[in-house]
Amino acid sequence: MKESLKVGVSGVRGVVGESFTPQLAATFAQAFGAFVGRGPVVIGRDTRPSGIMLEQAVIAGLQSVGCTPVLLGIVPTPTLLVATKALGARGGIAITASHNAAEWNALKFVNRAGLFLDETRAGELYDLYHQGEFPLVPEAELPGLTTEHGAFARHMERITNYVDVAAIRARHFKVAVDCVNGVGAVFTPAWLRDALGCEVVALHDQPSGIFARGPEPVPENLGQLGQLVRRHGCALGFAHDPDGDRLALLDEYGQPLGEDFTLALAAWQVLERHAPGPVVTTVSTSLCVDAVAKKFGQDVIRTKIGEINVVEKILQLGAPVGGEGSGGVIVPAVHPCRCAYIAMALVLELLATHQRPVSLLCGEIPHYHIAKTKVPIVADTAPELLRRLRRRFEERGAHISLLDGVHANFGDRWVNVRRSNTEPVLRVTAEAATTAEANTLVRTALEDLRG
Amino acid sequence: MTLRIASFGVRGFVGVSLTPRVAMDFAGAFAAHLGGGRVLLGRDTRGSSAMLHAASLSSLVAAGCEVLDLGICPTPLLQYSVRPRAAAGALSISGGHNAMGWNSLTFIGPDGEFLDPNGGEAVLDRYHAGAFLSADWAHVGTVQPVTNFSSSYFDALAEWLDVAAIRAAKLTVLIDPVGGSGCAFLEEFAQRLGVRLLPINAQPSAYLAREPEPRPRSARQMAGIISQLGGDAGFLLSSDMTRLSLVSETGEPASEEFTFAVIANHVLGRHTGTVVTNTCTTRMIDDIAAKHDARLVKTCVGQAYIVSALLDEQGVLGGEGSGSAVLPDFSRAFDGFLMIGLVLEAMAQHGKKLSELLGALPRYHIVKRQIRCDSRHGYRALDFLQAQLRARPDAGTLDQTDGLRMDWPDGWVHARASRTEQLVRVISEAQTREIAMQRADEIERLIEQEI
Repeated sequence: MKESLKVGVSGVRGVVGESFTPQLAATFAQAFGAFVGRGPVVIGRDTRPSGIMLEQAVIAGLQSVGCTPVLLGIVPTPTLLVATKALGARGGIAITASHNAAEWNALKFVNRAGLFLDETRAGELYDLYHQGEFPLVPEAELPGLTTEHGAFARHMERITNYVDVAAIRARHFKVAVDCVNGVGAVFTPAWLRDALGCEVVALHDQPSGIFARGPEPVPENLGQLGQLVRRHGCALGFAHDPDGDRLALLDEYGQPLGEDFTLALAAWQVLERHAPGPVVTTVSTSLCVDAVAKKFGQDVIRTKIGEINVVEKILQLGAPVGGEGSGGVIVPAVHPCRCAYIAMALVLELLATHQRPVSLLCGEIPHYHIAKTKVPIVADTAPELLRRLRRRFEERGAHISLLDGVHANFGDRWVNVRRSNTEPVLRVTAEAATTAEANTLVRTALEDLRG
Repeated sequence: MTLRIASFGVRGFVGVSLTPRVAMDFAGAFAAHLGGGRVLLGRDTRGSSAMLHAASLSSLVAAGCEVLDLGICPTPLLQYSVRPRAAAGALSISGGHNAMGWNSLTFIGPDGEFLDPNGGEAVLDRYHAGAFLSADWAHVGTVQPVTNFSSSYFDALAEWLDVAAIRAAKLTVLIDPVGGSGCAFLEEFAQRLGVRLLPINAQPSAYLAREPEPRPRSARQMAGIISQLGGDAGFLLSSDMTRLSLVSETGEPASEEFTFAVIANHVLGRHTGTVVTNTCTTRMIDDIAAKHDARLVKTCVGQAYIVSALLDEQGVLGGEGSGSAVLPDFSRAFDGFLMIGLVLEAMAQHGKKLSELLGALPRYHIVKRQIRCDSRHGYRALDFLQAQLRARPDAGTLDQTDGLRMDWPDGWVHARASRTEQLVRVISEAQTREIAMQRADEIERLIEQEI
């Protein structure tokens, strides 16, 4: 069966035109309304063509159980999270499949604190959905609908209050930005110009939702942006994903830095100029983040993959910064969520303070190399294989984490072996200072798996 | 409180039988029936209409329709707009003359008429089979708000009516659109006709300020003030602007049966032709048709049946005793604006007061009763009633086009199970009030005896 619907901790995700129908969206909205109770619920979406269809379905579903939809229209996902808390709403629904391909769309559920539901809460919501009985309100009690236009501006105010805007504006940076025809196309060029005083060269800046490049801001999708950086002599390049939570950087030569460097540079600026404390990230983030933390005598705390896991650990530890290696920077002083806009502001602030090109700043951070492979397995043998690996790694003195498969940390290198969610394979990933060392880690793990 | 479905629409009680899900399924079935394409969408001001509008919009977009969204729009104006906008059809959401809590979706075809009740049940078949269209992500539909739709309609209406005569008569009119979809269009209407407007209950409202059925009982407010205000005519409408009842300048509320009678007398006086009405409309219409040598055709109750028969019979005028009229050469809708215009035109052209126009009509006494009983019992009771009436020594002519009608030389009775509520509706009309009452009492007794 072709995969076309996923209900999980990151929301309800489906393929439009197949499993993801208005009826399904409305029913999930009813369940969410019943879950959070009567009151305002914020709705925002990205630029996907199916966004309007799901937005209208969600409006009807929410109203039917007595919740008042608060429409933000097309906004970055972090803006929706900020607004949900700032407006004192009962919760929020983000209509976006983020970096997934254009045929996908999703509903992502947000609590009143402006955080995505964690696994437990999401489980409760799906339980209500499956029970399928919602308290429909009579016509006399049906709520209306409100529209909120200033959400992005208020979100940006928090960011410009956090960084030294004057220092950034003084430099008149010339930047190229690839908006991937997503929410960035609506907001980013104007914001960089007006708020941060940049000269902007924009690419894919029609908010059509028809993504002119691969939606993930990974190096292989950023060739055009690189050319633009070189042609216009930009100080750096910014690459969005479709909903404005992840950001990748290109140096002044148009070379993609790799998404892990977004967090590394942002953490650098936070630790140096804003606040001390540990950096929280996931088990799969590059060691370059550890190198930055070490510069400032700080620890890196690792969590299971998934934004909400990082956010919860940040809040628990009071960490000043964290994020994911995929280009998601979290600064809880602005709002505990991944946000491409705080990432852009921090990187520009870093360049402004150091007055050095981004390639040279990156040169100060050790570069690591990743090696990957996958191994087919017989179904159900994975747990035993992973247990065996764990013992072997322990014998070699690794620090073991079981947050995602088996993660063996040897200080200056690591190897992770985990089951794929989509295929009957084990994925082996290793990172080390050189490609040769990373390959060795992978090869050793494969030998361990064989016996 | 059950869901009442027909080939041209669905009506239900909000939160009980009419849910977002039902609206989505029906809108989806309608969109699939049209095969996508351009569709107009309009609604009234009821509290549930916004929710059903969102649900319907979502389904139309999912099916790939190009939706022209007229927002709050009287149903006749929506019907009129289908042809000039070259749409495949339209979907109207309105509580119409029904009490608070009820709402309905009505399906309108490419020429602006309700889908033909005799033309098969294509939409219902699709609804029952769940055979909807699902456009793929790149071909989902679009939504375009339309705001300037009324001027071309009023242009056409002004051309149709003798505006010069109406203007010259310097009339003052009271109009009560029950806070419904007509509110926003009254000023424009009055300006076009050159009459002074005194609006009542003319703020768009989710609630009903009076009973939504235009009839003497709903006319108390207006009847009490019209003469002090110097009004020449008073008009009460349903929330969807399809039904009208009249209040004379003396403060006399006329039975809703007089609306079609006044209009028929005026229209046929100018140009006679076939007239269509239903089997439970006042005998005034029979008399007026005879006076003007017009052929009279009788059908089932409802706009869909009347308009269908008008087209079959190439009639010039249709209408019902509940306060509706349609001129098929103007549009294929029961149209409150047109009806008001025709009444004013009749006053202006003949130089008569409204009380004089009403007084000139043949006078019958009509009694309407409602007997509570569920549909199951209702149908059985009607069978029983038929047998009883047939067996009477003075049995009149029996007609079973819609429910049951028996005619005597001095009057008639009609009994029919309501399509919207758990009721049997009884109408008795006769030359004297005593006979009308006596026959109504007898029918009521027979029905109650059986249930």
